Amino acid sequence: MLNIYFGHRDDEIRFPQVYFKNAFEPEWMNDPLVKEMVFDIDKSKVIAPYVIESPIFGQIPPQMLSGGVKTLILAHKIPDKIFYISGCGDNCAKWFLKIAENKDVTVTLGYPMDFGEGPFHIKLLNTGEVVHSRKEMTLSDAIDNI
Amino acid sequence: MKGSFRIIVENKNVKYDFVINRNITIIQGNSATGKTTLVDMINEYNIYGESSLINIRCDRKCVALDQRFWEHVIQEYDNCIIFIDEDNGFVFSTKFVRLVQETTNYYVIVTRDPISSLPYSTKEIYGIRESKKYGGLKPVYNELYNMYSDYGVLSEKPDIIITEDPNSGYDFFKAVCDRCQMQCFSAKGKSNVVSLAKKLLKENKNYIILIIADGAAFGCEMNKLINIVKDYNVFLYIPESFEWLILYSGLISNVSDILASPEKYIESTEYFSWERFFTSLLVEKTNDTYLHYRKKYLNPVYLDDKQKNKILDVVEWYKICNQAEDTVNDEI
Repeated sequence: MLNIYFGHRDDEIRFPQVYFKNAFEPEWMNDPLVKEMVFDIDKSKVIAPYVIESPIFGQIPPQMLSGGVKTLILAHKIPDKIFYISGCGDNCAKWFLKIAENKDVTVTLGYPMDFGEGPFHIKLLNTGEVVHSRKEMTLSDAIDNI
Repeated sequence: MKGSFRIIVENKNVKYDFVINRNITIIQGNSATGKTTLVDMINEYNIYGESSLINIRCDRKCVALDQRFWEHVIQEYDNCIIFIDEDNGFVFSTKFVRLVQETTNYYVIVTRDPISSLPYSTKEIYGIRESKKYGGLKPVYNELYNMYSDYGVLSEKPDIIITEDPNSGYDFFKAVCDRCQMQCFSAKGKSNVVSLAKKLLKENKNYIILIIADGAAFGCEMNKLINIVKDYNVFLYIPESFEWLILYSGLISNVSDILASPEKYIESTEYFSWERFFTSLLVEKTNDTYLHYRKKYLNPVYLDDKQKNKILDVVEWYKICNQAEDTVNDEI
């Protein structure tokens, strides 16, 4: 399940982009889900672990992927860490839900990301409630912590 | 600094072309739209100049700022446009807010997290998208678009009106609501608007709620509010400010040039947000007249039919309430 804490926590990774640069493992890029996310968010194709084909910049290294997709890769590959995901736009929301389908993923967030109408299962750690739709999530007191 | 500025930033792969109008501009939106690339290009041009093969065209110097020595760096620049990418936590500090207020620069900040201490306008929050004008051509041509231009269209008389303003604006709309049998609540400040709307919706999810806020400084509340607007019968009316509305209504003469291009008149160091400028302008223009304006409480003359109707003539949503009222009266 996806667990979200609105606001900052002491145990979060505040700057996922820097973390990605130093934690990167080439085998991450062979994962089909990573390839899908890179293609959907960045419109880029993983050619090899160190080579991404970008429609704008040509061949780029993984470090030049967008902040959003780098944070998604981290949440997928290192689920025991808590990443601050405000660097991810609404277009990343469905991928966080996908990543958290088969494992617990906990993130911190500073804005009300739009996870769509639902249904989904997201636990809001500020209040402990599980919400199943945007309609429900929007009225939660958890968001008041932003 | 005064004025609006067109900024073109380009290299052989990508080109950005946009205009900024006020001291604070926010860029947000989806991932991978080129926000960080824009700030990186400005930074590389600052360091390497034309040898970077990046070209920047603007009437003001554009500068990229990061965590390193930011306090000192900001104070080194006057009349510049300063770009700040996300992951720079200092934008949430009181020191940064003070420097924005005191320096002559304009600031373009990439952030999705609301900066509640900065009075930025709902109109100056942009996303970046590829322009369709040159689709498929290189360089990829990017433009800015207003993130919050569509709040839905109010088609029924609201049950409840929430005003951000606890003062004159509330007095005015409370009087209008009393006449139209609508409830009117003041949220007593922008930071309470979302929680009041949520409280009311928890009481009754079918309420039709209209929120009236001063757009000139309401930007930080928009992403919290927009999901509510998507799923409930909540609508927004966000003119620059209540004072702007009075000026815009035509009650006050000789202000049309200013209202057509406020950016040409508003000095950013004097007025942190446009809201303050419009208040000051209205107070000045009505001084020693029967329309004498006070922000704290409404001069009752604005509730006389002649003045009130003139103001309401430019309030689009009021026509719906008025029509609903006429129908009820006809039936009686």
